[in-house]
Amino acid sequence: MITLLIVDDSPIARQILKKCLPKESAFSIIEAADGQEALDKYRQYHPEITFMDMTMPVMDGFQAIAEIKQVDPQAIIIAATADVQKKARQRIIELGALMQLAKPVSPKAVRDALAKAEQALREQL
Amino acid sequence: MAEIQFSGVEKDILQELMNIGFGQAAADLAQVIDLSIELSVPDIQLFKASELREHIGTEADSDQEFSLVEQYFLGKFKGIALLVFPAKAGKKLVSLFGLQDQSNKPSQHLELLEKEVMMEVGNILIGACVGKITELLNDVVIYSPPRVMIQDVRNSALPRNLFDPSSMAISMKTVFHFEQQEISGQLFLIANQESITWLKSALHAFMEQYQ
Repeated sequence: MITLLIVDDSPIARQILKKCLPKESAFSIIEAADGQEALDKYRQYHPEITFMDMTMPVMDGFQAIAEIKQVDPQAIIIAATADVQKKARQRIIELGALMQLAKPVSPKAVRDALAKAEQALREQL
Repeated sequence: MAEIQFSGVEKDILQELMNIGFGQAAADLAQVIDLSIELSVPDIQLFKASELREHIGTEADSDQEFSLVEQYFLGKFKGIALLVFPAKAGKKLVSLFGLQDQSNKPSQHLELLEKEVMMEVGNILIGACVGKITELLNDVVIYSPPRVMIQDVRNSALPRNLFDPSSMAISMKTVFHFEQQEISGQLFLIANQESITWLKSALHAFMEQYQ
């Protein structure tokens, strides 16, 4: 079973993402409401895939991606954000995220992102 | 008529939709000025429209002046969008638009330039934000041309009876952190009871697809 870490300060955004996960797959889901909590939970659970919001209190997604990448350079992180600016997208990829999803996420976008993430996981083996 | 209340879940849904709307608005504005904009976590509040002046007052800078862009929107969700910036934001925005080389022109010209820039920024931000929210709620809105006002909080031209007594205001406060400048802005959406009732029902319909 794949462990997912879903990071977003909005409980609604976390609910939307969970509902967009493919029904036929089983996931173990961990949630965090800000970047610091995400970092703590990443250290504790070592999730295979992390969905990360960018605009959050305490620690934003940009810093959280950088910190998680320091802990685990192979971490697979998918940004799920309302910030759809070109420069933000570039920064997210430069920080080492696998890809970015624009909010609100759709089941198809989440399915495609998971397929890409699972491919990246296989390549790491 | 009884005052409409928003539940915690309804506020959370609205906050997420406004967050997405502001993300779109920032992207549209960033494209125009070719600068990236860092968004702060938005703060949403709901209150009676008659209390609007007090809420705007808390956002004004120390000299109590602020710039206000007003635009009407009309759809199933209809009302007035007010985008409020501290008065000093006008000069900062003129500079961000690369128009600071006009500073040797008479002050009247500068004031006009500030108003034009505020109007353009307001049009982009309100249009993208309201447009995205209503799109997500399966609505289509049309807009009136924006209007810019420079106000004095203490002698505000916004009378308390401007809105229907049952109207509500949705306030969203965020800070736009540009690469060179930090500008705080506050967006108010004023809607009457009928429109707010529609909004509540549309918020639930939006979430039903994720139940």
